[in-house]
Amino acid sequence: MLHKTISNLIKEESVKIIRNGSWGAYWLEPFIEIEKDGVRTGASYRNIDLTHLKTIEDFFLDFEKKNPFDINEIDFIKNQNRIVFSRIGQQDPLDINYYRATKGYESLITALEIGHQETIDRIKSSGLTGRGGAAFPTGIKMQTVFDQDVSTKYLACNADEGDGGTFSDRLIMESDPFSLIEGMTIAAYAVGASKGYIYLRSEYPLAKDFLSDAIDIALKNNYLGENIQNTDFNFEIELRIGAGSYVCGEETAMMESIEGRRGLVRSKPPLPAINGLFGKPTLINNVVTLATIPALLSDQHSEFSEIGSNKSVGTMPFQLSGNIKNGGLIETRFDITLKEMIENYGSGTKSDKPLHAIQIGGPLGIYLSSNMLNTSLTIESLEELKGSVGHGGIIVFDDSVDMSEQAKFAMEFCVKESCGKCTPCRIGSVRGVEIIERLQKNKASKEDAILLEDLCETLESTSLCAMGGMTPNPIHSIINYFPNELIEK
Amino acid sequence: MSSGQSNTFEPLTLIEPFIEKKGGLMPALHALQEHLGYISKESIAELATAFNYSQAEIIDVITFYDDFRTKPIGKNIIRICLAEACQSQNCKKLLKDISSQLNLTLDETNHDSGITLKEVFCLGNCAIGPSVMINETVIGEATTEKIINHLEEDDA
Repeated sequence: MLHKTISNLIKEESVKIIRNGSWGAYWLEPFIEIEKDGVRTGASYRNIDLTHLKTIEDFFLDFEKKNPFDINEIDFIKNQNRIVFSRIGQQDPLDINYYRATKGYESLITALEIGHQETIDRIKSSGLTGRGGAAFPTGIKMQTVFDQDVSTKYLACNADEGDGGTFSDRLIMESDPFSLIEGMTIAAYAVGASKGYIYLRSEYPLAKDFLSDAIDIALKNNYLGENIQNTDFNFEIELRIGAGSYVCGEETAMMESIEGRRGLVRSKPPLPAINGLFGKPTLINNVVTLATIPALLSDQHSEFSEIGSNKSVGTMPFQLSGNIKNGGLIETRFDITLKEMIENYGSGTKSDKPLHAIQIGGPLGIYLSSNMLNTSLTIESLEELKGSVGHGGIIVFDDSVDMSEQAKFAMEFCVKESCGKCTPCRIGSVRGVEIIERLQKNKASKEDAILLEDLCETLESTSLCAMGGMTPNPIHSIINYFPNELIEK
Repeated sequence: MSSGQSNTFEPLTLIEPFIEKKGGLMPALHALQEHLGYISKESIAELATAFNYSQAEIIDVITFYDDFRTKPIGKNIIRICLAEACQSQNCKKLLKDISSQLNLTLDETNHDSGITLKEVFCLGNCAIGPSVMINETVIGEATTEKIINHLEEDDA
């Protein structure tokens, strides 16, 4: 809307309008920046109507009245360590010249020069673990695919970012799509794949448009297609659109969907890296993991790998959302506390009411209470609490939240999204909703408390995938960290 | 999204580009639905022949996915996000308000106004919830008023 209004005001050639991507500082958006004589400042245009303006000069005058500032200087952006998300917000996401001018495609050239094994070794030595949820070491997965002595291999990019409260993949795809395409091209070269799929959820139509255009531009510039950059490496990317199924974000269900079937999970083994899409070795990574790869083959490798320890190496794009003043994308080291995240970055609850609960790691993650704010956000620290960082979503709730409703939702979501293959997930979730509804009427029911515990145990130990296996996580956390809110002890 | 009925509708011409593709059924279903607004009975028969599936197998796939439908729905689809981040921003109240305003329950279509109300789990707009998607436009900090205004602008 604002873009159209301002475009209509521009009559002279000295003013150029650029549709840049999001900075990930959502509470400021729409955020308009003006660059004049090399100085760039911006102002928030939230809920502002500009249709009364008659000329572009009117707009400039109005802009000055808003006390414009340099967004790089606000704490929210300045305190982050943006390596993977360094380009978002800066320029037109489809401007390949800007991408190249900021070291884009240098890493692909490096990979093509150093060869398959050396590329994989550099990714291994970076310490990168998968950012989709399982945190498996990326380099080791690549090695497994590379080691398969099979001529046809595939790469599948999981862009089915389904966890509530996550949007880092969407930001990459809409604000810096070439970083994903370059990351995929490097990964495909490293493991020996010549065809890649992006499985994108249908809820992201804008990402679909940006990716389609970016793939075309990359093709025209010989970064995709045949004989990429005058080598004998060929690689093509096909965009596949999902159809509203959460479980298709589970890698084996995703493969079923790409193959044109119901998204039913497969049992593992065989691992997709050995026997994956269409029965061939397949490298599966999510969007952020793949978009991180270019940085690991550049001079940023040591900067990335020197941050953090164990599985929590490098930067993690956390996504702060829910009842929060300053929500958005925060790329930072893992070992920051929840308190720093919510108070320093988020500036507290949006409602100004007391904080009550924080959900970390999506629908299969856990809820922490307001007295657990010293928790560090590393993979290890959350594992100790029987949770996970997952895809990095952090959702804030104030004290109006009813935790028994959140527990019920965990089961309801499983009812809706279970693929139906495993009985405990398909039917157990329905029983789970019923038990929790009974507990909502009588928190002191020992019988239902024991039944819920048994049901959770059955789900955990007898489901094929994380959908059924981890649905009990939020429920356990509510029982343990929110005494008397679901079950009276 | 186009959902207009076409008299010269030929499912095969839409399906054709996907028949030789590996796993081409999903893109074929999307193409059909984009054209007609739903997957018709005759399309199912054509798909079965084209992909060498039984009709039951095609229906099996269609019914698994929330997006695919076998009956026409409204010209405007309102998807209200009911995932956790929007729950923290009172999406349940928004759903109640918008339902009574439009006189629609979830998954219902008002054929006079051409509006269908659906739920969705996450639009990736979680930092400024509650979020609603009207056709392909996402609206943050959604209110009943914002939704109604958007529908009116689209009509204008």
